[in-house]
Amino acid sequence: MRLLVDLFGYLSIIIHGLTIVAQSMALGGVLFLVFLALPLAHAIGPRVAADTARIAAWSALALIVSEAATVALQAAVLTDTVDLSLADALGASSAIAGLIKMACGAVLAALLFTLGTTAPRGLLLGVGLVELMAATLTTHAAARLDDRALLLAVALLHQFGAAIWIGGIPAFVSALSRVTDGEAWREVGARFSRMSLIGVGCIVVSAAVMSVLYVGAPDALYGTAYGVMVGAKAAMFLALLALGYGNARVVAHLRANPAAPVKRMKRFAEVEIGIGFSLFFAAASLTSVPPSVDLTADRVTWHEVVERNTPVWPRMVSPQHDVLALPALQAQLDAEAAVNATKAPPAFVPGGGELPVRNAADIAWSEFNHHWAGVFVVLIGVLAFLNRAGLRWARNWPLVFLGLAVFLFLRSDPEVWPMGEEGIFESLRDTEVLQHRFFVVLTVMFAFFEWRVRVGGWDNKRAKLVFPLVCAVGGAALLTHSHAIANVKEALLIELTHTPLALAAMAAGWSRWLEIRLDGRGGRVAGWIWPLCFVLIGALLLLYREA
Amino acid sequence: MRTLWRACGLAALVWLLSAGPSLAHAILVESAPVIEAQVLPGDIAIRLRFNSRLDRGRSRLTLIRADRSTRIVPIAPEGTDDLLLATVSLSPGTYIVRWQVLAIDGHITRGDVPFTVAR
Repeated sequence: MRLLVDLFGYLSIIIHGLTIVAQSMALGGVLFLVFLALPLAHAIGPRVAADTARIAAWSALALIVSEAATVALQAAVLTDTVDLSLADALGASSAIAGLIKMACGAVLAALLFTLGTTAPRGLLLGVGLVELMAATLTTHAAARLDDRALLLAVALLHQFGAAIWIGGIPAFVSALSRVTDGEAWREVGARFSRMSLIGVGCIVVSAAVMSVLYVGAPDALYGTAYGVMVGAKAAMFLALLALGYGNARVVAHLRANPAAPVKRMKRFAEVEIGIGFSLFFAAASLTSVPPSVDLTADRVTWHEVVERNTPVWPRMVSPQHDVLALPALQAQLDAEAAVNATKAPPAFVPGGGELPVRNAADIAWSEFNHHWAGVFVVLIGVLAFLNRAGLRWARNWPLVFLGLAVFLFLRSDPEVWPMGEEGIFESLRDTEVLQHRFFVVLTVMFAFFEWRVRVGGWDNKRAKLVFPLVCAVGGAALLTHSHAIANVKEALLIELTHTPLALAAMAAGWSRWLEIRLDGRGGRVAGWIWPLCFVLIGALLLLYREA
Repeated sequence: MRTLWRACGLAALVWLLSAGPSLAHAILVESAPVIEAQVLPGDIAIRLRFNSRLDRGRSRLTLIRADRSTRIVPIAPEGTDDLLLATVSLSPGTYIVRWQVLAIDGHITRGDVPFTVAR
């Protein structure tokens, strides 16, 4: 069991991300119900409010489950490692805050499931506020030594902004599907635009204060892991703003002409949900690193960033497997064991807590993998372009992904079968190997579905959406991808190259989504964007260096 | 049930081990003895300062000797919220003080301070 600890470590970020999603949807649903669905019921009908109450109720239930997992894990580790009783462990201020969040989730779920749209609005808002305050006590701000009151206030504001805007979008999409006439769409769109603007304002103000107090200086934006992730969040925020602006324009058109099409507003809102939730997972990932201002040593300098990213010719020849650090070490251990007539210990135990040894050949091996992966991805982008331009045979481009998947399966972890001695299941205790295998499965999945869609004539709407969804999820997962390298600077220099890859993958996924879901000029433009993203990803991979 | 509970405990070590000491949330900003220092034998004051407010009652200091044997070091009740203070009486040898702290925001992290007691 002790060997699974690293694996659980990675899953904790996922649990935290799910908690943020559930909290935002529960609170966003309540706000949407109280300030939009109920006041506008005369114009948009009562079913929007009923749908919204259901969304908020289920989200509150999800919040209870995910927060319970968090509190249980924390209590378990304290009882096991500090010899505390369960009551003592649950007495920690963060655990109490977690229990309050769960209680608030339970009250919200009970009110919304039993009373539905007739639940007292003041009570819903009051319980939501208590939940938000409790959640704020489990943020970085609660543990800060300086400016604590200010940071707590802006952390609360930040979460409120995320809830009213991003958390409310699922209810908004549901409402747009429920109403059928232009005037009702305009009412819903205009009111939600105003609510979103309040959310954007809260986020901008709070983010500005937190940037000053947590990041500190511009060089921390590329010099620390915290700063890099803040930069990624800012990029996603700007994408959300652009989509929100697009929706505001649709609302303006509806004001002039109630018969104007609203499909674009629905589709943009769908993409906003996807990017918004990815942003929540980036926020969860952010909580596992210390704020930049606290990290004064081991920062990456601009000179190091430039030096590392100066293009060099891609490495197209691989080093031999037996000169890699682990096989070389294993050979040495085997030789020593043979002399002593004993059984050789394994050079590396996956999940054992030790980082695997690396040498120059390992770096060359990894660069070779990234560069050939880049060749595959550029080829995919170019073929997709040609296909878009009318070249029929180029529609087979998804098959190139299968080649990439086989390449990654064989090469990404040389210590694992079939190249290495570790068994596949045993190797999955290593978080990095698990993530690599996850990416291989994703690649095979979307290659298969997209190829069937393009060549096999699959007209199933859901099958078409697999490729963009998996692509976007893969991009979001890449944001949380970590490399098991002891040197903090080296790990950060790699992260600096992976973050643009993650953002480009998300852009590719969501532009393909819009190409499928959106008719007319918007869909056509989106159809040119995602192949471009693939070419960009390929180029970044070709320029990738680890030394 | 006990096994399940222990499994959950190990699962929760996520926060301890997922990112490693240098990338964790609460970080050590100053220590006495400093890392890899040499100190004189006798009563040695341990003073660890962090970047976060801590829950000292739910934090732990463990002394690891060269032979990997361990003992718990009681944390003194005094000091500010970001400090862990303790005193240990040590003979010459190499030691590690392993700290595990619960920050007020609920993040549990740990790290090591290796040092040598000179002859």
